[in-house]
Amino acid sequence: MSDIDTRILSQLEKKTAQPKYISGQDDPWSAFRQVEIITLELIQQYKHSLGKYSRFFIELENGRFLGTKCSRCQTVYTPPRPLCSKCTKITDWHELPGTGSVKTYSVMHYSSNINDDVRVQAMPMVLAYVLLDGSSTLFPHLLRAENNEVHTDMRVHVTYNQGPVQHPIHLMYFAPLEE
Amino acid sequence: MTDRLPVVVGVGLTPFAASRDDCNVRDLAVEAVLACMHDAELESLHAIQHGLTSYESDHFNRQMTLGAILHDTLGLNPTPNVRVEGGGATGALALRTAWAYIQSGLCDSILVYGCETNGKSISSQTANQLFALSADVDWEMMVGGTYTAFYAAMMHAHMEKYSTKREHFAHVAVRNRRNALDNPNAQKPMDISIDEVLNSRPIAEPYTLFDCSLLSDGAAAILLSTEGWAKQHSPAFSVRPKVVFTATGCGTDTMRLGDRYPNLTNFAGKREAARQAYQMAGISDPLHEIDVAELYDSYSGVEIQAVEDLGFVSQGSGGPAIADGLFDRDGYLPVNTSGGLLGRGAPVGATGIAQAIEVVQQLWESVTPERQIHNARRGLTDTHAGIGTICVVNIFERRD
Ligand SMILES: [Zn+2]
Repeated sequence: MSDIDTRILSQLEKKTAQPKYISGQDDPWSAFRQVEIITLELIQQYKHSLGKYSRFFIELENGRFLGTKCSRCQTVYTPPRPLCSKCTKITDWHELPGTGSVKTYSVMHYSSNINDDVRVQAMPMVLAYVLLDGSSTLFPHLLRAENNEVHTDMRVHVTYNQGPVQHPIHLMYFAPLEE
Repeated sequence: MTDRLPVVVGVGLTPFAASRDDCNVRDLAVEAVLACMHDAELESLHAIQHGLTSYESDHFNRQMTLGAILHDTLGLNPTPNVRVEGGGATGALALRTAWAYIQSGLCDSILVYGCETNGKSISSQTANQLFALSADVDWEMMVGGTYTAFYAAMMHAHMEKYSTKREHFAHVAVRNRRNALDNPNAQKPMDISIDEVLNSRPIAEPYTLFDCSLLSDGAAAILLSTEGWAKQHSPAFSVRPKVVFTATGCGTDTMRLGDRYPNLTNFAGKREAARQAYQMAGISDPLHEIDVAELYDSYSGVEIQAVEDLGFVSQGSGGPAIADGLFDRDGYLPVNTSGGLLGRGAPVGATGIAQAIEVVQQLWESVTPERQIHNARRGLTDTHAGIGTICVVNIFERRD
């Protein structure tokens, strides 16, 4: 596949459009009612840097869960923020144990299917917003629980997998914590 | 500054539709602008001093730099043009920008036109992927999240905190689609029951299919100017009630819902936008001082959150207030008389402009008799991007 490939796939359709949206007898566009429709396909490929967030993803390979912490206001961000949004101060990496509690969620019956990691998931699936122990913000990810059983304040933990994955965010997911 | 408050000179709208495959995006803009020109009773666009193009996405429209291209298509060269983008709030942000252009003295008249082809030219799967690009590309979206799910997670928190019921927001899904029955420009008027909403297929719980708004093709245009320009150029201006664009507010919030913890139920950016607009318009009691409103019902429950954040009712009491009919067409403050995003449709770049057109036409008393609200003097539009990430509140008043 080339980096960008714009193609006209096929000549799909020729037709005479009906002026169904024009009220009254006089169609001002009557000379413009022949319509031809083609199918365009645009394939675009990018080198997408994960930038200053990269260490979070790299440490997932080592089974470590990192947020960032502001040394001025003590806010802990998961997902990490390289810049504290309260103090405009550069933050520090901060490791968390990876346990936490579900604070809100939705059972999704459709997803954006944005990558193969998502496409292999069985639907429906749970998008959970988890307050990790020691964090100030909620981390959104899939919760894999039997029969999608989930409730607010349910205890969960980060589970790591070895891959391979298309996007490194899928080196982890949430699972119920047996306590 | 009050002597330069923009007045509404003319409005124009295409019908909103699931597919306008007889048109490309340029044709849609032309249809809306011609309708606006005729509404203002202008012979041509030559006297207009500025153009403002409102659209969200090059991905949807398959064309970059549509600002310059549409400006050219409309024959507005060599007058200046600016393109405005603000996600779902694009059309409302465009009007707010036009407000500032006139107030600043940069121009005396400005044609604001918005368009989008969000309809069936692409599959809903691709559309959802493109909308997902406006979420956080490396986090929520890559795990498989959708906007429906982000909104659903907010509504779930609202239900748990305030005992809001699915029946409460199903009322919105039913009412707005019924309002659309009396709007000939609406995409999907329907007469459905609360049970049909509750029993339609789940998309992201608690939201079902009928809780979700539409993907649309369409365009909308509004001509704004100083009162002096309107009197000089538009014969229509002096023969109908004067409508003034009196106030505008804008507020913002985090892109990701989780970064708002513990505030998960409502739109802080919308409260800020409303605060600014109310201060500018001298409103202290919005429920009693606003007569008609178009609210951003991207999902049915969002209207519950909106009536709370706009200060119509207290935080948490939106569900019962809506189910009681407070905001129905025969209620205390009718909202979404057009049918809203649920019933009329939502071509993104046109949506905020179309909301304003409904409010302006309510103030002019020129909508179909079935949906006309009588003696409305002041109307509000509420429009937002993301999950309330950029929020815009615009206020229009009849001054005659
Ligand atoms: Zn800080």
